[in-house]
Amino acid sequence: MPTSQLSSAPPAPTASPASTPRGWRTLLVGRRLSLALAAGGLLLALLLPTIFDQIFGFAGGFQLHRITLIYIFALAAFAQNILTGYAAQPSLGNAAFFGLGGYLVAWLAGDLGQPFWVAILLAMVASALIGVVVGGPALRVSGAYLAIATLGLVFIAGSLFDFWDTTVGRMSYDINTLPGLLSDDHPLYFVVFVITLAVFGLGATLLRSRVGRAWVAIRESETAALAFGVNTTYYKLLAFIVSAALTGLAGALYAIWAQTANSSMSSVDETIIFLSMIVVGGLGSILGSVLGALFVGFLPLLLGQLPSPMTFGGFSIQVSTLTTGIYGLLLLLALIFFPAGLASARDYLRTLPGRLASRGGAA
Amino acid sequence: MQAFLQVTISGLVTGSLYGLLALGLVLIYRTTGVLNFAYSAISVFAAGFLYILLTGPRMNFWVALPLSLLFAAALGAVVERLFARPVLHAPVFTKAIATLALALVLATIEQAIWPQLAQTEHFPTPFEGAAINVGGVYVTVAALLALLVTAVVVAALTLFLGRTRLGIAMRASADNQAVAQLMGAPVSRIFLLTWSVASVVGALTAIMLAAQQRTINITYMDPVLILAFVAAVLGGLDSLPGALIGGVLVGLADNWLALGLAGHQLGPLDISAPGIRATIIFVAFILVLLLRPQGLLGKAELRRV
Repeated sequence: MPTSQLSSAPPAPTASPASTPRGWRTLLVGRRLSLALAAGGLLLALLLPTIFDQIFGFAGGFQLHRITLIYIFALAAFAQNILTGYAAQPSLGNAAFFGLGGYLVAWLAGDLGQPFWVAILLAMVASALIGVVVGGPALRVSGAYLAIATLGLVFIAGSLFDFWDTTVGRMSYDINTLPGLLSDDHPLYFVVFVITLAVFGLGATLLRSRVGRAWVAIRESETAALAFGVNTTYYKLLAFIVSAALTGLAGALYAIWAQTANSSMSSVDETIIFLSMIVVGGLGSILGSVLGALFVGFLPLLLGQLPSPMTFGGFSIQVSTLTTGIYGLLLLLALIFFPAGLASARDYLRTLPGRLASRGGAA
Repeated sequence: MQAFLQVTISGLVTGSLYGLLALGLVLIYRTTGVLNFAYSAISVFAAGFLYILLTGPRMNFWVALPLSLLFAAALGAVVERLFARPVLHAPVFTKAIATLALALVLATIEQAIWPQLAQTEHFPTPFEGAAINVGGVYVTVAALLALLVTAVVVAALTLFLGRTRLGIAMRASADNQAVAQLMGAPVSRIFLLTWSVASVVGALTAIMLAAQQRTINITYMDPVLILAFVAAVLGGLDSLPGALIGGVLVGLADNWLALGLAGHQLGPLDISAPGIRATIIFVAFILVLLLRPQGLLGKAELRRV
């Protein structure tokens, strides 16, 4: 019976709207809850340095430094999400801008001695300009063709940065001139936090505006959006530019965070990180970008707590070789069981009682 | 002239191997809509299995080869059932990420069971070092075998897809899965078969490449996979002959550029670096895509509301 194959499709992650009656009352409670959660998160983020100092003592700064990276990842995830989750452009090329931002900051601020805020701004502008150059052609190709072509961009960027490094004769582009504000763990944490908060705030506003609605319209049906008078060319190009600028910003911050830029910032591995963040977190979800960054940021830390080497019978293995595999496995499981991302787990939990009841009724 | 001929032949050989891998990519993409980024890890798994059979129990190469191809077929089937099937109805993008994750898992398993392959190891073949001289141009037996294998695989696939009942059902389900299913095509078995066949093709490619370069490690197929993707997209992702032509074009371009750029300097810059070669190939690839967004032999996509 060939038709039986159809039933092997995984159940839709979210129940149909009809099964979750949401009057104004539940909406109000939901919004109040979200507000409380947001306020709690903000407070936690502000108090985190103090808490870490209490818990870890001297190692507090080191641990804080690792958390700072999660903010930077969240920025990159948000940038990829705007392009892929909202405007539905399956671009694999953002890692090129990540490297560009890093190398430009290292060059402008490190070698040319420009102030860091100028270097960061110029890195964003340059990324945006290259975003136009990439976005223009991208309007001609779509789907899988776009994905491979933009992956090619990452290769070009990575090999050019590598070429620059080998020509000059260095392993990576170190930044030695960081002011205390950007090199000490505590101030850097707050600088990155404020930038991240600002970007997410502005981004959320943008997504609620005409621009965001146009992107979602393109995502749902490009032809229909066109028929409704949405200038799809303009808005797709805009998505590439915004995403490139934000990824350039994330790359610049990453280079400052690591105090070095290297060509692996523009590599397939980095692309995998960006993509897995938004797919695990949730495509087209602001919360999803944060959840994805938490997943990618915390997993190596948690796996680092495992005893190494691990022994299975007479077979012993270094945990470091297992880390990427476990990461991949969790990513696969997340994709299979939460195809709409971790951000959808909220809807999943909310509708769980209803679905359990209906299943019991059917049996 | 001699050098040019030599380089052209090696371009044809590596190009046909890129094309073979691109063929496997297109096969899977057309039938199941998966951009298979785990293809290099799957291929290396089979080639690594062969390496273990050759170096561990010191099996005869011609006995071990079919065993490793069988292993590849089984591996392809397992991957399809365990990983590709659950995400079958997900968007193309999600499926691509799933294969990226799968590649990480497979590479880790390979590293865990064969720790010696973390370093580059010697890959022994019975025809290693053998070459014939054709009018002053040396062609290794490994290269000739690579061309032969490519020709046989392409001929077999063409016959299978064009002449057999199952092959036609396979093309039908690639064109329209729902309709093929209603016509009684065993779509579920076809997906399994596609992954198995593609894995065998990938294994053959990986083994021929290892035989050519005489070395093997866990990551040697990764750069090849990217070039195979370029080849597949260049040919149009839905065209099997296109994939092969794309592969040969990429192989020739790579080798000709290597010859043309060798020893040249641009001011203080050494432009014979492999990175520059890859950059030129990718820029050319993107330019071709701009002129023909559907690839050289692909059909333009119809957009329906």
